[in-house]
Amino acid sequence: MRRSLLVRASAALMVAGAWQLGQAGWIEAKAWLAQWLIEDAWARAAQGEAHPRPWPWADTWPVARLDVPRLEVSRMVLSGASGRVMAFGPGHLDGTPLPGVSGNSVVSGHRDTHFRFLRDLRAGDRIEVTRPDGSRKEYRVTETRVVEQSETGLLRDTDEARLTLITCWPFDALRPGGPMRYVVRAGEVVF
Amino acid sequence: MTTGTIDRPLVAILVRMLAGAIVSALVLCGAVFLAVPVLAAESVAAPQAADDLGALRPTRPEDARRGSLLLRTATGQTLVDAPLVDTDVAMQVSGMFARVAVTQRFRNPGKTWAEGVYVFPLPENAAVDRLRMRVGERVIEGEIQERGQARKTYEKAKKEGRKASLLSQERPNIFTNSVANIGPGETVEVAIEYQQTLVYDQGRFSLRFPLVVAPRYIPGVPAGEEAVTGFGGSGWAQDTDQVPDASRITPLVLDGSERPRNPVRIRIDLDAGFPLASLDSPYHEIEHSPGPDAVQHIRLRQDRPVPADRDFELVWVPNPGHEPRAALFTETWNQVPHALLMVMPPVRPGAAPRAPRELIFVVDTSGSMNGASIEQAQASLRLALKRLSPADRFNIIQFNSTTRWLFDDAVPADPGHLGRALRYVDGLRANGGTEMRPALERALAQGGEESGRLRQIVFLTDGSVGNEESLFQLIAERLGRSRLFTVGIGSAPNSHFMTRAASFGRGSFTYIGKVGEVQEKMAGLFLKLESPLLTDIAVHWPPGAEPQVWPERVPDLYLGEPVVLAARGLAPGTRVTIEGRYAGKPWHQTLDLSGGKANPGVHAIWARRKIAALMDRKTQGAPEQEVRAAVLETALEHRLVSRYTSLVAVDRTRSRPVDADLETKPVPVNLPAGWSQQKVFGTLPQTATAAPLQLLLGLLALATGALLRRFSLPRGLA
Repeated sequence: MRRSLLVRASAALMVAGAWQLGQAGWIEAKAWLAQWLIEDAWARAAQGEAHPRPWPWADTWPVARLDVPRLEVSRMVLSGASGRVMAFGPGHLDGTPLPGVSGNSVVSGHRDTHFRFLRDLRAGDRIEVTRPDGSRKEYRVTETRVVEQSETGLLRDTDEARLTLITCWPFDALRPGGPMRYVVRAGEVVF
Repeated sequence: MTTGTIDRPLVAILVRMLAGAIVSALVLCGAVFLAVPVLAAESVAAPQAADDLGALRPTRPEDARRGSLLLRTATGQTLVDAPLVDTDVAMQVSGMFARVAVTQRFRNPGKTWAEGVYVFPLPENAAVDRLRMRVGERVIEGEIQERGQARKTYEKAKKEGRKASLLSQERPNIFTNSVANIGPGETVEVAIEYQQTLVYDQGRFSLRFPLVVAPRYIPGVPAGEEAVTGFGGSGWAQDTDQVPDASRITPLVLDGSERPRNPVRIRIDLDAGFPLASLDSPYHEIEHSPGPDAVQHIRLRQDRPVPADRDFELVWVPNPGHEPRAALFTETWNQVPHALLMVMPPVRPGAAPRAPRELIFVVDTSGSMNGASIEQAQASLRLALKRLSPADRFNIIQFNSTTRWLFDDAVPADPGHLGRALRYVDGLRANGGTEMRPALERALAQGGEESGRLRQIVFLTDGSVGNEESLFQLIAERLGRSRLFTVGIGSAPNSHFMTRAASFGRGSFTYIGKVGEVQEKMAGLFLKLESPLLTDIAVHWPPGAEPQVWPERVPDLYLGEPVVLAARGLAPGTRVTIEGRYAGKPWHQTLDLSGGKANPGVHAIWARRKIAALMDRKTQGAPEQEVRAAVLETALEHRLVSRYTSLVAVDRTRSRPVDADLETKPVPVNLPAGWSQQKVFGTLPQTATAAPLQLLLGLLALATGALLRRFSLPRGLA
């Protein structure tokens, strides 16, 4: 009697465990597979499509591509920075200028997926921003800092072209929803 | 179940573990798919912060000089050596008036010369008529000037290195005091004085003194570069198309991690003129002792200062039988007699049966209402719902960034609808912006169709918006047969909004500052909602003796409200007749205006009421040029601060050396008591997934499962 109960319990636990692993895997898979579909939408954007949705029911579309040559990193930036958008890629914060345009453009992404690379960025690193029309702008990282989530002053607009990348901090915290943020700021390289 | 007793706890634990794992998996998975609002912020939508202010650029701690005082603000700036302001308030209360001196001491803790800019509140009906600046032993009397002229006078003195103080009005209840050329470690004292009438309503006298300007929600889109004026404000918000002076009414707010600043000490001498049944300060602890001439000397407890983070209120009630029925106060000023007349109509509750009504409750569920405020609003709503009779109809509208409503149209107050309404009230949560206009439009639009029924809108809000004037316009235009009653909620409601919205809405206003007050304050409101009005009020002066009277037309009065008239050019001994209709019956009263109590400052009250009436005309569409000219004339004659006039004081001698720099430094203010910084100012985006946590949980569950399986296999086989 007792034994069969233990068998059932262990089976249940293993199912639950598998489920949790599956969920984690699903988050990761979604995060990385989506970037693929988004690449495809990006190609359509280059052909002049205004809001190329990566999949028919998507409420977002790529607005820019970020490349960091030193780290060999490339990310598609999506429009909007809601949790739903950020599951698929770094999101551009509505109300701030688009990446590659003058002003302070703010992009945020998950610390455990697309924006994990932020911790490897150093002052002086080059970030290339490509816009859907193919035009490019180069930025250089000016500072990295840890701030509290209340520092909304970082979202203020500026005169010069600037890129503000935001992710959660610490990078290896287990639980989501902490109060600290990691911020990378980059200024446009003027030739 | 056949499980033995020994196994029960184990089963329970396992079931709980399993359930926990499944639930957490579902919840975490759901969280990823659901849109997580990124900036569920009330007001700091990204582009809404000002950056054109050199002095306010965020300063990195490492840039600051050694030994500087650093302060964090709720919007993320770091202030270096912000000026400290402590305030002494001295009130002389007598009869229907208060004469108040507010002394602000600006201290510059830094090592450089500073200009301090302090945005602070005063009562919305304050007639500010005096400013004195004290520099060491010298006292400099302020002068009233046209607003632009006063600014020029001040800027010139500032440039020349003279000490100067400029007091401007941003709203009837928001003022800015700028003090130029405060030396390192130096203190400059500025005393501001005003005259005000007290509120006498339902047998209670009250006096409200606001201590902090609460963060306002600023609707609209940022005004373009070309719209930026020469003198920007020092606030956290950027000017927008709907609130062109947003940066002047949004003083920087201290971060929650900082200690509260701006201590205030309050002392009141109260000469009520009648024996008191009660004397109470609902939000601050006070001590009082009667003086030799029945004057009450009131102090904060142990005469200790309090942080400027919530309104101060003093309420006193006359002994039964000593309630004033009529009062006359006079002053001859510039050879012209001025008078203030108060008459209490002899009306009683219950004079007529209750008429069936349509009640529309509008409740503010924006982020600034979070915490104690929303609880007060919920408690008030529950009481109001329970008070409805089955013949009444009602609806509930709530608004924050969007407007929602419980029923598409008003419904009968039967048990079924009331049950749904009570559950709806339980579910109210405060979050997001304060887009008040659509909610007001909705509440006002439903009128019209059904006649005969009294239509009353009860509007519960803290009024923390910057676009008051356009809302007043909306109310004035669309009111129709509805009546609007404002209920000011929380520790620092916008009194200008509450009183003017109620006035344009032809209703009345009530304040609720804590849950413990809900019962009493709502009971007072119900009396007003349910009793007949005193209507068609007219004042008849003898022919040839018509004085200039404000208000020009006396509004309908609710139960417990007196007729208050301010008159100029009134010959002594005039007889005046006031008439009106109450519960279908005519009422009139004739008064002989001889004698009266001589009271300095009556002229200022008369002028303040005239200015308020002129500003109301502007709201109702009169051309600004006309209104401005009329206000200027009155304000300059009576030396009052207004929208178009400021007080300015300039020192004769220069104090700042020509080669020393001057930095403009805003004085940060406290977040009002009970407010949530996060709900008002928002946060940066949330950017972590649950994947790592799920990974760990999954592995743990698998490992535990495997372990259990091992134990459950027959011994020997394992």
